[in-house]
Amino acid sequence: MLGSGNGRIAQISECGKLTMNRMPAADQPPRTPEKPFFFNTSEHLLRIGREKATALPALLEALRTCPDDSIFQHTFRTLQEHHFIRQGFSNDFAHWSLSHCHEPVLAEQLAGVDVREFTAISGLRRRIIEIVSDFLEKHPHANSHQANEPFYFCSSDIVVLPTPFVAHSTAEFLEGLRQVSVHSIHHHFIEARLRLHLMSNDFSQWLEEEVGLRHVADAIERIDIYTNTMEGVRQQIVRMVEQALN
Amino acid sequence: MSNAKSNSKSKAEAATTATLSPAGDNSNHSGQTVTANEIGVPPAPGPVRSNDRQLPASLLTPPAPPPPPHLEDYQPIIGQAQVDALRFLAREVKGKTIKMVNSTSVGGGVAEMLNRLVPLLSELEVPAHWDVITGGNDFFEVTKAFHNALHGSSYTLTKAAQEIFLMYNEQNRERMQFGEDMVVIHDPQPAALIRSCEKSRAHWVWRCHIDLSNPDRNVWEFLRPFVEQYDAAIFSSQSFARQLPIPQYLFYPCIDPLSEKNKELDDAQVQKVCDELGIDRSRPIVTQVSRFDRLKDPVGVVQAYKLARKYVDCQLVLAGGGAKDDPEGAMVLQEVKQVAGNDPDIIILDLPPWCAREINAIQRASTLIVQKSIREGFGLTVTEALWKGKPTIAGAVGGIPNQIIHKLTGVLVHSVEGCAFQIRYLLTHPEFARRIGAAGREHVKENFLMTTNVKRWLLLFRILQRHGRGATSSDSH
Repeated sequence: MLGSGNGRIAQISECGKLTMNRMPAADQPPRTPEKPFFFNTSEHLLRIGREKATALPALLEALRTCPDDSIFQHTFRTLQEHHFIRQGFSNDFAHWSLSHCHEPVLAEQLAGVDVREFTAISGLRRRIIEIVSDFLEKHPHANSHQANEPFYFCSSDIVVLPTPFVAHSTAEFLEGLRQVSVHSIHHHFIEARLRLHLMSNDFSQWLEEEVGLRHVADAIERIDIYTNTMEGVRQQIVRMVEQALN
Repeated sequence: MSNAKSNSKSKAEAATTATLSPAGDNSNHSGQTVTANEIGVPPAPGPVRSNDRQLPASLLTPPAPPPPPHLEDYQPIIGQAQVDALRFLAREVKGKTIKMVNSTSVGGGVAEMLNRLVPLLSELEVPAHWDVITGGNDFFEVTKAFHNALHGSSYTLTKAAQEIFLMYNEQNRERMQFGEDMVVIHDPQPAALIRSCEKSRAHWVWRCHIDLSNPDRNVWEFLRPFVEQYDAAIFSSQSFARQLPIPQYLFYPCIDPLSEKNKELDDAQVQKVCDELGIDRSRPIVTQVSRFDRLKDPVGVVQAYKLARKYVDCQLVLAGGGAKDDPEGAMVLQEVKQVAGNDPDIIILDLPPWCAREINAIQRASTLIVQKSIREGFGLTVTEALWKGKPTIAGAVGGIPNQIIHKLTGVLVHSVEGCAFQIRYLLTHPEFARRIGAAGREHVKENFLMTTNVKRWLLLFRILQRHGRGATSSDSH
């Protein structure tokens, strides 16, 4: 931490760049939680789907008909598969549009979709369809271009697993945060909103409801997952909670 | 072997191509020769190489195989949380049994993988048993032809070939018991064992390791009725799959980070191998590891290296094998030598198949690694390179784009010129090279390690166990 001012804190990111995050406003002293936080994790098995697109119109058609699982796989889940990439990878649709259709405008628009703005797959699907559909309308040439490689729709069979970590206190919560796998961080921080149907995540929910750290909870929710690795996300959450407790 | 660097002038003047083979077949080559001077690069210091070198005697016989590692041995690599996840996953299928069936117990990637997978599953208290089918030469001739035909080669499927295939499958079916809870049949050779599924309580899974994207129609139509009886099929890439009425899963092939080819080596071990093979670690090393096979385009790699050498100093190591046993491989090796000419910085190594540790050391010594394949299965040599954190340049074919996300975990190329440019770029932009190398290693850690494969098998087993026989996981969605 280098300093603060105007409600923002400056910190050195993993890549050594100076970044600005909004500083959490002061909370009341933390409460002892009544309910423990159970750290879980989820594992996925990739299933190859029936839909395949060899051009953007076919992608649009498949986006309308594919199962919700496929939308989840190519947006939420692919972030977990590529959790170690800090920038340049957002979702499979954006990646394919750039790499195999050579449509940078569409790729940027699709990459700009933040999965955390959606609490249900149906809304996310609508947004992606809207982007591709608008693009094809404004760029009719793209309707006839064949992609270098097809887009294969996949989906995931998911198994949620417990971990050995259960937090009965903020100290145990911090310890769990440090020890669990990045899959667990992804499960609680990113996938959670599909379970909760809330614009929040499991960590923020618990910190606010059980510990009373509302401002820390809000600050955690604002961490940018698209400019961080999942390990970087973990470290930021740990730092924010540590700062609130000290 | 001398490692003196003082005689670079005489070396460049002699300009001999250094090639090695286990038999010491280090003949001179009289084809087109392009020396370092001719392509405009001043001679750089390097180790002395001559045409009479042979591989060290220690490499001429295979070493004894090391014992398979235990799950805890992977903990420093994948972390305790991942080991815990494997144990939790195994808990639900504890005591359930798996039978793996393939067609060979030695050689080839499937046997190599099963050698590690079976003990790890058993250690997790999911007893796994590995059976190998038997057959005469006629059977294996037919199944090799099937294999090539499924890869897209032209083939005339005869009634006799079908009968041979079915007869040996029937013999094996009568010999084998299928009392396990899950039976996994690897590849087409034993595919007809599915006829035993009626009398078995097991879930039957077909694990196809080959690319079925463009199969010979007749061979595929012959095999398809067998495949459709399985409860699930597994492919190595989305693009390898077929339209089938059963669930299809994606299991990427994997490497074992504790194998001789991939385990950590200390610098002294790497240096020793480089000294033995005449590789100069004081200068950039560009390496391709692959069989001498036209589909790996070793000639294209030499051409790319020569284009790049106009701008950057480097050595090229082509480390492969197969030239001694395979007439086509020997021919390709000769072509490579011809194109390499007498450039002393092109080091061609025809290594025996047991030189895994030497390959490991060469990869670790390399500044960057190339796999300029024209056609590829999954491309495990790419996985190996990425695992070692090496910036990797590879052809955008087969399963390689699953591993290399362009400019994020490596770079993809489509031509000799593209490959040459990327060699130049990566050698002159070490920070970018380091970054993609590090991301490549993480990509392998997340998706292409043996432990990830164990996890996939446990997940599949759990998913199938939740459904009765004949039901599919897609029924639940």
